[in-house]
Amino acid sequence: MDKQKKFKVLLVDDEDIFREATARQLKVRGFTVLTADGGEAALELVQSDPPDVVLLDQEMPGMHGTETFVAIKELNPLIEVIMLTGNTSVDNALELMKLGTFDYLMKPVNIDELLYKIEDAHARKQLNERRQRSNTAPS
Amino acid sequence: MRVWDMRLLQDDLPTEKRRTEHIYDYVDSEENRRRVDQHFTKLQRKLIIGLIIGFLLPNALLSAYFHYQFTHTLRDSAILSLESVADNQKNSLDLYLRERIGNLYNLLLNPSATVPPTQATMDGYLRSLVRFHDGFIDVGLIDAKGILIGYAGPTPEQLGQDFSDAPWLKQLLNRDTSHIISDSYLDSRRAAHFTVAVRHVIQGQVYVLRATLDPDELYLLLRSTVHGSNVESSLVNAQGRYQVVDPKIATATDQAPFLPPATESVAIHEQDIEETRTLIAYTWLTEAPWSLLVSQPLAVAQSGMYQARLILTISLVSISLLFCVIIFFTIRKLMDDARRMAEKGHQLQEMLAHASKLASIGELAAGVAHEINNPLAIIMATSGVVRDMFNPEFDLDNSPEALFKELDVIDNAATRAKGITKKLQEMGKTRMPQTEPCDINAQVETVLARLKKVELKSKAIDVQFNPAEDLPPILAEAEPLRQVFTNLMLNAADAISDKGIITVTTAVQDSMVAITIADTGRGIPPQNLERIFHPFFTTKGGGQGTGLGLSIAASIVKHLGGVIKVNSIVGRGSTFTVLLPHNFYCPLDT
Repeated sequence: MDKQKKFKVLLVDDEDIFREATARQLKVRGFTVLTADGGEAALELVQSDPPDVVLLDQEMPGMHGTETFVAIKELNPLIEVIMLTGNTSVDNALELMKLGTFDYLMKPVNIDELLYKIEDAHARKQLNERRQRSNTAPS
Repeated sequence: MRVWDMRLLQDDLPTEKRRTEHIYDYVDSEENRRRVDQHFTKLQRKLIIGLIIGFLLPNALLSAYFHYQFTHTLRDSAILSLESVADNQKNSLDLYLRERIGNLYNLLLNPSATVPPTQATMDGYLRSLVRFHDGFIDVGLIDAKGILIGYAGPTPEQLGQDFSDAPWLKQLLNRDTSHIISDSYLDSRRAAHFTVAVRHVIQGQVYVLRATLDPDELYLLLRSTVHGSNVESSLVNAQGRYQVVDPKIATATDQAPFLPPATESVAIHEQDIEETRTLIAYTWLTEAPWSLLVSQPLAVAQSGMYQARLILTISLVSISLLFCVIIFFTIRKLMDDARRMAEKGHQLQEMLAHASKLASIGELAAGVAHEINNPLAIIMATSGVVRDMFNPEFDLDNSPEALFKELDVIDNAATRAKGITKKLQEMGKTRMPQTEPCDINAQVETVLARLKKVELKSKAIDVQFNPAEDLPPILAEAEPLRQVFTNLMLNAADAISDKGIITVTTAVQDSMVAITIADTGRGIPPQNLERIFHPFFTTKGGGQGTGLGLSIAASIVKHLGGVIKVNSIVGRGSTFTVLLPHNFYCPLDT
């Protein structure tokens, strides 16, 4: 696995242990991992060091996952967001997808599934970036 | 979270708080059922007594009135009947006596009458009289000196006898009347007789023709005209001596128990005769100085009345008893129906309580899933880390120390999940409700503090609390009260789309404590206003609401003897007012 080719992932979760363990798994797989323990910290990082993909916990004290997602998209619409949730009903999931999240994953998360989703999300981001460039580039 | 506060699952809560916030079973079935039973038994007793008194009292008064009227009417009727008998008999007697006098006159008026009469003439007279009537015993002619100068009859020795001292003769000779009827007298054979005499002038001389009559004839006449049982008729003279009487009662010339006063027509007298209350109708004869007495024992005279009264009394008692039985059974049936209805209501209430529990459990489950999935996520992530440690590709430190460190993390997460399930089991345990004087302001503060941390935080809602000073405490359980406020405030928050104000005010209104929760939200359309307290009515889509919040709140408030009022203007907001009586002792909580 080519570590240098991996892209930047922001992991937002209020559970310290989960955040650290997941970050370690991603790091060894070559990702540049940023972590935040809440919505406010995540928004700061999105501005200061924009990630490619955000893994965002839904239930957080303070700024809620959905709220944080909307704020991220406002700052940078190209960033793809995958929601992580401890409790997702079909209604809730559909709601999130409608809002424009890339996908959602239910905790506990299987690392392979997570990697797969991150890769997919990144691919879509790259596609969107190319589209944007071709739309804005002089013909 | 609606009803369940997930902080209960956190370790840092004081033990006391966790204990008092267990699942609350506010419908204490057994106790409540017993109270409802007692209530209905008392109500049934009151209704039966009230209705029976309400029916029997007027009935008794009416009966007494009719009884009084009836007694009088029947007594009058008995008197009237007796008076009528007396009047009829008087007429019969007068007619009888007039006829006898007429018989004698007819003899004297005969132009062939000679003075002194021959024996053959006298015998002819007697035959003539007897032909008219059996009552005549003898006949005699007396001259102006009182000497019997002619006689026909069983005692011819009387002939020549001087009757000038006989009172009847003196009266007849000295009076204006042309005839007289003497009192009864006993002859030598102790047989009663009375004399009818007429005065006439023959050939310038006064003569008196007298005849002796048997009073038994009069008695038979009386007997034949009597109607009604135990009616006794007798004749008494001006001295109160019997003239004609039932031989079983007395003999002629005996003193009668009653001396009737002079009267124009029939009169009535009541007196005890031989210890029997007797009704006596009396009247004086026209033709003789005798009074007719018609007597009847009062009991017999009024026997018709007694019988009618007995029938009336039996009927009234039977009807009253019948009504009592009907009232008793009707009320018992009504009460049974009411009891069944109450039982149904009670079951509905229990179902509601159960439903609210289920709804709470549903919400609880959602919260629990989150709480349990978090440690599970840690376990999975950490086990992934361990797997990575043994992946040669990553070249990580897989020393036993590093491994143990990761395993500890897994253990801790598993312990955390176990703790949550343990607490859930504790929450499932029910307990007896405990009432305490609740400071409403403090309860509202608690609820607001709780809601501000989570539910009210996400929106720009300004919560204002205006507590009243010196608010009297409410005797109730704190948790259901908090549930009422929580549900109302969450509804207020839900009604506000982006930003708005929720104003909570407490106040004393008469004997009630009023808690007003006003929001500046979207308001409730009029067509929904009457349905909002119905169970399972909700306007929140997407599984956001169970539709039980307001019905649970209303049910709790009702149990505390209070009421929830609502005012709403669409587009302006809603105001919910909880009114709780501060002197109400919640019957379910005792």
